[in-house]
Amino acid sequence: MKNILLAGILLAFLVPVTSGARTLEVDIHGLTCAFCVDSLERAFRKIESVRDIKISLEHKKLRLVTEGDLPDDATIRQTILDAGFTPVRITVLPNAATD
Amino acid sequence: MGLRSLVALPVDKGGSVLRLTLESADEAATDVLIANLAYGIGARQTLLLGLPYRVDPGGDDRSGDGSLLYRHIAWQRDSFAGTRRLGLLVGALASSQSDDNPAAQIGAVYTWFENRNEFDADLVFQAGSGDRPDAARYDLSWQYRLHPERYPEWGLSREWHGVIELNGRWRDGEDVLHQATVGLQWVHPRAVLEGGFARDISNGSEELLLLSTRFHF
Repeated sequence: MKNILLAGILLAFLVPVTSGARTLEVDIHGLTCAFCVDSLERAFRKIESVRDIKISLEHKKLRLVTEGDLPDDATIRQTILDAGFTPVRITVLPNAATD
Repeated sequence: MGLRSLVALPVDKGGSVLRLTLESADEAATDVLIANLAYGIGARQTLLLGLPYRVDPGGDDRSGDGSLLYRHIAWQRDSFAGTRRLGLLVGALASSQSDDNPAAQIGAVYTWFENRNEFDADLVFQAGSGDRPDAARYDLSWQYRLHPERYPEWGLSREWHGVIELNGRWRDGEDVLHQATVGLQWVHPRAVLEGGFARDISNGSEELLLLSTRFHF
């Protein structure tokens, strides 16, 4: 009984870590105007795990917050290329950095 | 993208842009509504459709020449500050009037975009069949982002762009008609409202008022 209780407590701590939000940022070249932002948002909204999308025209960055697994690099790069832009670098952020 | 030509418009794969433009000519006393639709087949392949319709004066033969263009982005270089790209255009021009002959269209469009400045240049040649005369058009457009001076860290603010253009229209057997256009664009992520004033600088007689709206979906 004691073991089951301990396992339950351990699981309660682990679940938020394994299924929580993940964040990544992508540096993008070719972002020029508000229409570009809309194109990217519409493209990334189609990816199921994406929960939140932020775009910075000032820093030419895309920030994705996902629920669970991050989309793989190839999917991210192809989505950006299909929207008409050039992906430069993908950085997975520690979640504390996005607050 | 400028006021007088749609061919420089960037369209994403699967994306569409609808533009409705009202051109009101002072001396000719005509109002023409031009409907344009652009569809992104791929990131570098776009279909561009255009159909003018004379609103005023009424009567028969209100529909003008329908235009279909395929644009292929043959070269593109993106940078942090902007982009440069060259597109090739090929298509056809067909009239709704059965006695008018169609024309083949071929051309090119170049875009240079850096920070607050965008420059677009396009040239389209129309080779007429039968008794339709050959024709051509060019558009040189400079757009400057008036507001905001700097974008916010994340997200968007509404944008205001000033536009200055030099446009030319030619038909075989006639002189080139050059026009100067000035205008203003209000840019929202999903829609653009724009207006301008064009003046014939070849003989100074014709003036055009332009009102246009674009929807991105």
